[in-house]
Amino acid sequence: MLKYCTKRFLQSLVTLFIVVTVVFVLMRFMPIEGFLGPRYDKMDPGQRDAILKAMGLLDPIHIQLKNFYIQLLHGDLGESIIYRPHVPIVEILGPKIPYSLFLGWASMTLSLFFGLSLGVFMARFKSGFLDKLGTVYIVIINAVPSAVYYLFLQLYGKNLLKLPMLFDADRPISWILPIISMALGGIAGNAMWMRRYMVDELNKDYIRLARAKGMRKSAVMFKHVMRNAIIPMVQGIPASILLVMVGSLYIESLYSIPGMGGLLIQAIQRQDTPLVQALVLIFSAFSIFGLFVGDLLMAMLDPRIKLGSKEGSR
Amino acid sequence: MSKTIEQLRQEYGTREKILTIEDLVVKFSLRGEELTAIRQASLDVYKGESLCIVGESGSGKSVLTKSFMGMLDNNGWIDSGSVLYKEEDLAAYRFERQWMQIRGKEIAMIFQDPMTSLNPLRSVGSQIKEAVELHQDLRGEAAREAVYEILENVGIADPVRRYRQYPFEFSGGMRQRVVIAIAMACKPQILVCDEPTTALDVTIQAQILQLLDKLQKMYDLTVIYITHDLGVVAHVADRVAVMYAGDIIEVGLSEEVFYNPQHPYTMNLLSSLPQLGEKGKDLYAIKGTPPNLFKEIHGDAFAPRNSLALKVDFVHRPPYFTVSPTHKAKTWLLDPRAPKVELPSAIKQLRSKWGDDIVAGS
Repeated sequence: MLKYCTKRFLQSLVTLFIVVTVVFVLMRFMPIEGFLGPRYDKMDPGQRDAILKAMGLLDPIHIQLKNFYIQLLHGDLGESIIYRPHVPIVEILGPKIPYSLFLGWASMTLSLFFGLSLGVFMARFKSGFLDKLGTVYIVIINAVPSAVYYLFLQLYGKNLLKLPMLFDADRPISWILPIISMALGGIAGNAMWMRRYMVDELNKDYIRLARAKGMRKSAVMFKHVMRNAIIPMVQGIPASILLVMVGSLYIESLYSIPGMGGLLIQAIQRQDTPLVQALVLIFSAFSIFGLFVGDLLMAMLDPRIKLGSKEGSR
Repeated sequence: MSKTIEQLRQEYGTREKILTIEDLVVKFSLRGEELTAIRQASLDVYKGESLCIVGESGSGKSVLTKSFMGMLDNNGWIDSGSVLYKEEDLAAYRFERQWMQIRGKEIAMIFQDPMTSLNPLRSVGSQIKEAVELHQDLRGEAAREAVYEILENVGIADPVRRYRQYPFEFSGGMRQRVVIAIAMACKPQILVCDEPTTALDVTIQAQILQLLDKLQKMYDLTVIYITHDLGVVAHVADRVAVMYAGDIIEVGLSEEVFYNPQHPYTMNLLSSLPQLGEKGKDLYAIKGTPPNLFKEIHGDAFAPRNSLALKVDFVHRPPYFTVSPTHKAKTWLLDPRAPKVELPSAIKQLRSKWGDDIVAGS
C-alpha cells in the first residue's frame, strides 16, 4: 500500500510539473504587447525593451522557466502585472481563497449528504412516490438554466424567509442562500448517480443469493447494495474539490461575494501572465491531488484493484 | 446397494412428506396483462430425497421454487392453492417477516451462475459468516470457526487463508462450492439447486454433484434440483417431476420416468436425447413452441404439439392417472377408454428395457 501511495504521489507531481510547464511556455508565445498593457502605445522601443528586460521576458525560455521554479520553491508566486499591477499575487489571492473555499466546502458537504441520502432512498423505494419526486427534482435542476433558479431562490429567500439578499462575511445568516444555491446542482447529480449505481447493484445475482440466505431487505441494502454502490461515488468526490476552489462566478456576483469566481478568466483575458500561472498552478494542484486521493480511496475500498503490480495496464 | 423398483416403491411408501404443493396458481402482471406461470400444479416432496424438476425454459420450474421461498418478483403473486410446510401454509404468507422464518433457515437455494452469485467486494468468509450469524446464532470467533468447518466440508482446502480472500480469487467451481457453503451455513431442511451445474464445465459438474450428494447424506437434506440437463437428472435424481407450461404433467421414480414415460411430452423429451438417436438419422426435435401463458389454456397444454393427441386432449384437461404408487401422469392416454397409439421408436426401445427386474442406480 505504501509503495502504491508513493508511486501514485510521484506520478501526481510529474503531472503537475508538466501542466505548469506547458502553461508557462504557452504564455510566452503570446504577443509581447500584452505584457505592457495599455501603456504599449505611448512607449518607444527602447523603453519597451527596458521594461521587458526588467521583467525577465527577454531571457531564453529555459532560463525563464528555471527562474520561475526557483521563485516558486521560495513560495513566491510573483507579482500581478495588469490585474493589480505590482501587487504580489499571494496578496491578491490571500483574502479571496477563504470565501470560495468556505462556500465551496459547505455546499459540497450539503450536496453529498442530501444527494447521497436522496439517492439511497430513491433506490430503496424504486418507482415509489419518493423516487418520482426525486426524479422530478433532478430533471428540473438539469433542464432549467441554473441562473433561473438561483434568481428565484434569491428573490423568494428574501421575500418569504426574510433572508439577506447579499453576502456579508460577518453575518452567518447571509451565508445560507448562496450555499443552498450552490448545493442544489450537486444534490441532483449525487442523487442521480447514487440511485443509478444502487439500482444497478440491486439487479445483480448476488443480491438474490443474499436474500435467499435469509437476510432482511434492509440488511441487504446496507451491507451489500449501498457498500458496493458507494465505491464509484467515492472515487469522484475528492476530484470535485476543484469545483469548490474555482468558485462559482455567477453565485459570487449574484450575492457580491469577494471570492475567486471568474478570476482565471479575467486574468487570461487581460494577459496577466503571472496571475494565470499562479492560478493554473493552484487549480491543477488541487485537482491532481483530488484524483490522487480518489484513487487511494478506491484502492482501499475495492479489493479487486491490485496495488502496484498492474498499474501499467490501467 | 442396488434395489429393485419394487423395493424403492415400498421405501417411498414409508417416507415422510416434507413439502406439499397443491393446486398452486402463480400469476404475473406484465405490461398490463396477466400471465399464469403456474397452472394448478401439485407436487409432494419427501424428506431426504433428491427430486429433479425438469422442463424446457419458461415451463415454470424456477417460478415454482421461488413461490415457496417468497422470492417471486414484485409483479408476481400466488393466486390460489396451498404450499404446506411443517403444517404452515406458505401460500398464505404475505409479509417479509413471515418469509424470514423460512428463507435460508428452512429452505435455502443455490443459483445457476457462481460467477455472479457472490458479492465481488466482500471477502468470501464474511459472506458465509453472514449466514452463520443469521441461522446458527454464533458470533465473532465462534462464527469464524464455524465458517472454517463449512469451508472444509465443501472441499475448500486451507480455509483460514481462503476466508479472507475475495470471489475474484476463486475459480468457477470453487465459487460454486462457496455458494453451496453459504446455503449449508443456513442449516436448511430443503436445498433448492437452480441449475447448479449449467455454468460449469463437465469435470467440475461431476465434482459439484458429488459434493451435493455428500452433503445431502451428511445433513439428511432434501434436495430439489431444477435442471434441463437430463444427464444430471439420471445422475442424481431419486424422483423426477416433468413440467410443461406451468404444470407438473408427470412425476415418478427416476427409473419409472426414464424407462416407462407415459405423457407424450415426456416421451418427446426423451426421444430428443442424443443417446437414443440412430446414427445417420436427424436428431428428434419437438415441433412447435410452448403455449402462450397470457391466454387461458383448454385441455392438455401439450396437445397442439403432440402427434399422439386425442380429440379429448383439446377439450378437457386430463387429471392425474396413477401408473404405480409412485408414478402418475396427466394424460388421457392412460384412460382405460383411450385407443392404443403407436409409440415413438425411441420409447419402444426404452420400454423394452423396462421391467420389474430393472435395477435402480445401474
